[in-house]
Amino acid sequence: MERIQTHPILGDTPEGKQVTFTYDGKILQGIEGEPIAAALRVAGVMTHRYTKKRHEPRGVFCAIGRCTDCVMVVDGKPNVRTCITPLKEGMVVKTQYGASEKEGEV
Amino acid sequence: MVDVQEKLKAIGPYREEPDDDMLICRCEEVTKGEIRQAVHAGMFTMEEIRRYLRTGMGLCQGQTCGKLVKGIVARELKVSPLDIEPATSRVPMRPTEMKILARDGGACDE
Amino acid sequence: MERYDLIVIGAGPAGLSAAIEAAKNGARAAVFDENERPGGQLFKQIHKFFGSKEHKAKIRGFKIGNDLLKEAGEWGVKVVLNATVIGLYPEKEITVRIGEKILHYKGDSVLIATGASENMVTFEGWTKPGVIGAGAAQTMMNLHHIKPGNKVLMLGSGNVGLVVSYQLMQAGCKVVAVVDAAPRIGGYGVHAAKLARCGVPFYLSHTIVRAAGTEAVEGVTIAQVDESFRFVPETEKTFEVDTVCVAVGLSPMSQLLKQAGCRMKDTPGGLIPDCDEYGATSVPGIFAAGDVAGIEEASSAMIEGRISGAMIAGYLGYLEEKAAHTRVEELEKALESLRKGMFAPENRGKFMKKTEEGIDTSVSLLEHGFLADNEVEKYPGVIRKAGTHPVIECTQNIPCNPCQDACPKGCISIGSNITSLPVVDGTAECIGCGMCVASCSGQAIFLVEEKCEDGYGTVTLPYEFLPLPAAGQKGIALGRDGTRICEAEVVKVRSAQAFDHTSLLTMKVPSDMVMKARFFKAV
Repeated sequence: MERIQTHPILGDTPEGKQVTFTYDGKILQGIEGEPIAAALRVAGVMTHRYTKKRHEPRGVFCAIGRCTDCVMVVDGKPNVRTCITPLKEGMVVKTQYGASEKEGEV
Repeated sequence: MVDVQEKLKAIGPYREEPDDDMLICRCEEVTKGEIRQAVHAGMFTMEEIRRYLRTGMGLCQGQTCGKLVKGIVARELKVSPLDIEPATSRVPMRPTEMKILARDGGACDE
Repeated sequence: MERYDLIVIGAGPAGLSAAIEAAKNGARAAVFDENERPGGQLFKQIHKFFGSKEHKAKIRGFKIGNDLLKEAGEWGVKVVLNATVIGLYPEKEITVRIGEKILHYKGDSVLIATGASENMVTFEGWTKPGVIGAGAAQTMMNLHHIKPGNKVLMLGSGNVGLVVSYQLMQAGCKVVAVVDAAPRIGGYGVHAAKLARCGVPFYLSHTIVRAAGTEAVEGVTIAQVDESFRFVPETEKTFEVDTVCVAVGLSPMSQLLKQAGCRMKDTPGGLIPDCDEYGATSVPGIFAAGDVAGIEEASSAMIEGRISGAMIAGYLGYLEEKAAHTRVEELEKALESLRKGMFAPENRGKFMKKTEEGIDTSVSLLEHGFLADNEVEKYPGVIRKAGTHPVIECTQNIPCNPCQDACPKGCISIGSNITSLPVVDGTAECIGCGMCVASCSGQAIFLVEEKCEDGYGTVTLPYEFLPLPAAGQKGIALGRDGTRICEAEVVKVRSAQAFDHTSLLTMKVPSDMVMKARFFKAV
């Protein structure tokens, strides 16, 4: 999904500082301080994790840190709510499988 | 006190429904069928269902499924959702790591 | 452990208002909020609010949020962010997680203003990435400036579903349909009409059968439902979408109140504290205000907060009892006027057959989102006369009156009853300034001139999309139902600070189309 460059009510989107992070090893760009989930959506990433029992894909659902469906492994820490965690330069973001970063581990 | 055996007799046996496989609790991946079966196993309150199936016990703490579970239990028991005893609310209200809770020094931590 | 006169949980409209009101009277107040930013949902509300001046009508939600924050700062209210209250005890002590620590605070009074969480419905595929809450859509587009999706289907026709659908279009997304299992649109007709005239179809008595897609949502299938909400066979309809947005109501987030031992009431709208009219719970010194005490609008939450804040100032001894009651009485009047009309709490879900004026309500508006061409002239805001004049397609009794103050010439009157339908006075002279068009939060006012040149007339409409068409641009005029009705040419586009981001687009259409053409689409 794209960024909104200019909005009829909110005007021009303020320019932020570009940062680089990795998503499952891939190098991506985002805006410093925006939620990790926002940067991922712009990059077209919809699936943030696969569930433990049914191995089903999940992504952003509530976007305000309540539903915890968007959790990923960030800098080695699992269950990080990417919709409310600000993006920082050099972050290592990985798809979460169950409660870990590798399929089969829980 | 509800007479569980009487109530179970009154609601009849569990019958499979086509959407029993529908996920209700997104965090703990509990299906509608499991919740319905739990009712037929004698779990009539939100607290009992929660402890029996772990619905609403996952990361989100029932933010999403609470109302849905209640609706299913009520329908199965043939009562209004308002007649279903709500779950207890206890600390911590939001998922909190044990190590952080353990560091709680009480009222004199500063 | 730190102590405050008042601890507020939740820095949304209710919580901030309460803290300000108490602080104004000398109380030391702190507001804790788990979010990174204060304001609750206000900063996602980019539409103009309804009501009257005292309810901050015609001001956009995020501006109201900024004003509240400023006011809180001025009165020395401490706002603590990223602070998750995880426990509330009857002794009015709270435990708060801040960073990696759990801290304890004690209040001589505590106000809970935690707001609400979104309800959900289940359907096949509802857990797939791409199915999101309406709040998530608002957060993504209005706070983080990203499109939640390209093609979106909205489930839910309450005000949230309608307002968010419009905001999705403003963000550049395509809304393929608004779907609701109920037989009638739940939100304001004017909100629905804004969508319908842009061509968004409404499917009432319909709901989602499934969201399909291998990894994320690629399509959604809806079907008609009968009175018992069972699917009607062979009524399935499939849309190609990447996003399904769910707006099926809110439930109070009242768990902290329950935890503190406040007496609770289980209602069809969720578990709420048993409060008196000032928000006092059964535990002395613990209050509740805003959505947590029963779902309403942000406008009422702000007044409820003020009422509780004044009562708390009284309870703490900062305000004499008599003074507190005088203040509360004044606030209660403002609150009462917001709770009037067709959408008043006691009318929720009811089908109102007639307006307060005794005019039949539009069934077409309730079932399809637009007024039928032949029923428009029944309403007192719609008149026909020579020369430019306002045509107000406001047909439901809702508490809102900025239009009557907007007209410098006195063409529009509502009177003292805030829910009355606006009346256009044909004898007053309209100067075509357009202030009324821009003032209408429901975008239901148009300026019409039947004959400006041979066989042609003009329609001036509120326009809140980009790119903004320019004078001379040719396109088509759409009717209230969003279908093409004739060719149109833009003759004027006005933007002004006083219009607050609502541009006024004037288009030329054949004279016999001026009472039908309600939107301009460039081709």
